[in-house]
Amino acid sequence: MSAGRVLVVDDERDFSSTLSKVLSRRGYAVDTRFSGGAALAALAETPFEAVVLDVRMPGMEGREVLDAIRRAAPATQVILMTGDLSEGAEEAARSGGAFAYLLKPTPIPNLVAVLDSAIARAREPGCGASHAGPLRGR
Amino acid sequence: MIDERYRGMFRSLVRRLLLVSILPLLVTSIANFLLFFSLNRSIVLEQQAALVSYHRASVESFLLNITAELSTLARTYSREDLTRGDLERVFRVIQQPAGVFTDIGIFDSAGNVVKYVGPYDLAGRNYRDAEWFTQVVEKGVLVSDTFLGFRGEPHFVVAVTRREGGDFWILRATVNTDRFSSLVGGARLGETGEAFIVNSRGLTQTKTRSAALLVASGCPDLEPHAGIHVRRATIGGIRYLLTTAWLENPRWMLVFRQEESEAFQFLTKAVIIGIVMTAVGVIGAGVLAAVVARTQVRRIARADREKEALTQQLVATGRIAAVGEMSAGLAHEINNPLATIDTLQTWIRDLAGSAPISEADRNEILDSVSKIGEQVVRCKAITQDLLKFARRAETAPAEADLNALLAELAVIMRARARVEGVEVSTRLEPIPPVLASLTKLQEIFMNLANNAIDAAAGRPGAEVRIASRLHGQSVCVEVADNGPGISAEVLPKIFLPFFTTKIAGRGTGLGLTICQKLVSELGGSLSVESREGAGTTMTVLLPAAPLAGLPKTESA
Repeated sequence: MSAGRVLVVDDERDFSSTLSKVLSRRGYAVDTRFSGGAALAALAETPFEAVVLDVRMPGMEGREVLDAIRRAAPATQVILMTGDLSEGAEEAARSGGAFAYLLKPTPIPNLVAVLDSAIARAREPGCGASHAGPLRGR
Repeated sequence: MIDERYRGMFRSLVRRLLLVSILPLLVTSIANFLLFFSLNRSIVLEQQAALVSYHRASVESFLLNITAELSTLARTYSREDLTRGDLERVFRVIQQPAGVFTDIGIFDSAGNVVKYVGPYDLAGRNYRDAEWFTQVVEKGVLVSDTFLGFRGEPHFVVAVTRREGGDFWILRATVNTDRFSSLVGGARLGETGEAFIVNSRGLTQTKTRSAALLVASGCPDLEPHAGIHVRRATIGGIRYLLTTAWLENPRWMLVFRQEESEAFQFLTKAVIIGIVMTAVGVIGAGVLAAVVARTQVRRIARADREKEALTQQLVATGRIAAVGEMSAGLAHEINNPLATIDTLQTWIRDLAGSAPISEADRNEILDSVSKIGEQVVRCKAITQDLLKFARRAETAPAEADLNALLAELAVIMRARARVEGVEVSTRLEPIPPVLASLTKLQEIFMNLANNAIDAAAGRPGAEVRIASRLHGQSVCVEVADNGPGISAEVLPKIFLPFFTTKIAGRGTGLGLTICQKLVSELGGSLSVESREGAGTTMTVLLPAAPLAGLPKTESA
């Protein structure tokens, strides 16, 4: 079994592409998108076990993307990342169904640890209810 | 007083207090004076009228008595009896009570002295041509005017005729002028008030303190009148108050005369006392007004200072809140490059850890290192902008280039606005400088820009426009957003302290309160125009600095 399929979504291109390379080197199958819209399009094509999602992006905000992912692919675990941790934001993220809420810069080992538990959650039987099927099929 | 603005307040308060206290004082004083004036005047006049009335009665009764006495004598005794020797005895008897007469004499119908008892030697004199003789022959009874006669002394006589055996004779007595004068001489008031009698030609018939007998009294208007008259007259340059009454017989006038200044001296004193007391009252009111006004103004000044201190606190609290609001955006702007750097350094470590390092890995490492450099430059730009903006101590008012400040603010705000998806644009026209402290201006426009970004954030095509232009003598700055606008219910409340529509933790409700306060301190105005669904425009009008130089051009 592979380390997991991960989608990295961030408008900071240097960040998202480097993170992809780092994660690939650690055994993940990584795809990269630079906007919320592109991320949703990618998710519609291919299932991912985890999404690393920037909260603040021009165009579609991370939180809207989160809602859309939760609706379209409930099994996919979303890890929100943000540059600022305002009061109540983490709470809102959790109630919005995010798996974790991380403050940038997050050391890579920490991110990897969170990512692994997210993927483990995605692979739990019953997770994501009726929509879990296609994901497990892969 | 502490301050020029309180000095004006003090002066106007003193003026009002003086008006309130002195007006009633003056009204009362004038009313009292008028009352006292009429009361005193009527008392003086009544007193003099009473004197005149009383003395006229006593003079008339005196003259009536002595005339009656002489008539009785003439009817009681025959000419023979009196000539033979009784005249001396009769004279002694009628002289008994008070020495009323100076002499007494009997005259025949031809005017010859028949018998005379008295101090003068009148033997052999003939009075056929004397005025008194003619008059007594005509009237039967006579009280003469005062005249000089043979003796060369002013005197007046009482005479009666007696018919006896187809002829007549006359009994005549000279009235003691001192005795007569004393009848009215007792009527005195003060230093100048005196009574005297004048005949129909105005010559004195009694001695007075100031005049001898038979001198012109100077009394005007010698037309006989009934009752008692009062008039003013100037005699010898002195103003007198004259109270007069006419006797029935002879037609003499009793005069009471007093210098007006003395007659009304109490009135004069009362006026002086009144003026002095009023002046004391006015001075007292002035002192009290000053004391009360000073206390009040001090109280107001203290309240103002307390209010000022409170406002300072508000401004400080607001500044902290504004900085907090801005720092959220800045944290994002700095943490993003940091995250990139962190990822890049992990990547380099990954590549460098695998020996041997291929040429491709080497290039990848170098590329990553230069990307780290780019991210560092980005962070540095942000921190420098922030420092340029924030590290300014409270500055004194000076000619400030508002356009430069707005341009700088826009740069800072863009960092925050970008992550909220808000475009910040500026359109700065040439404007003259304004006289204000930079920190205050920053405070005002940072607050307005923060609000505008918050309002616009999260809407498609969100935009904040900052524009400056010249508006008459003022500089006009507009901060406009295309957010949801402010509803009519909320609009009146937006300047209230602690009123906020932002979520808990985002706003303190102080921003606009502070803005308005600061703008009004700078002599300007802050107004709001909002349409629901279309956005809000906050307009700040600030007076251009006096003697402004050429307008400066600033490009956005």
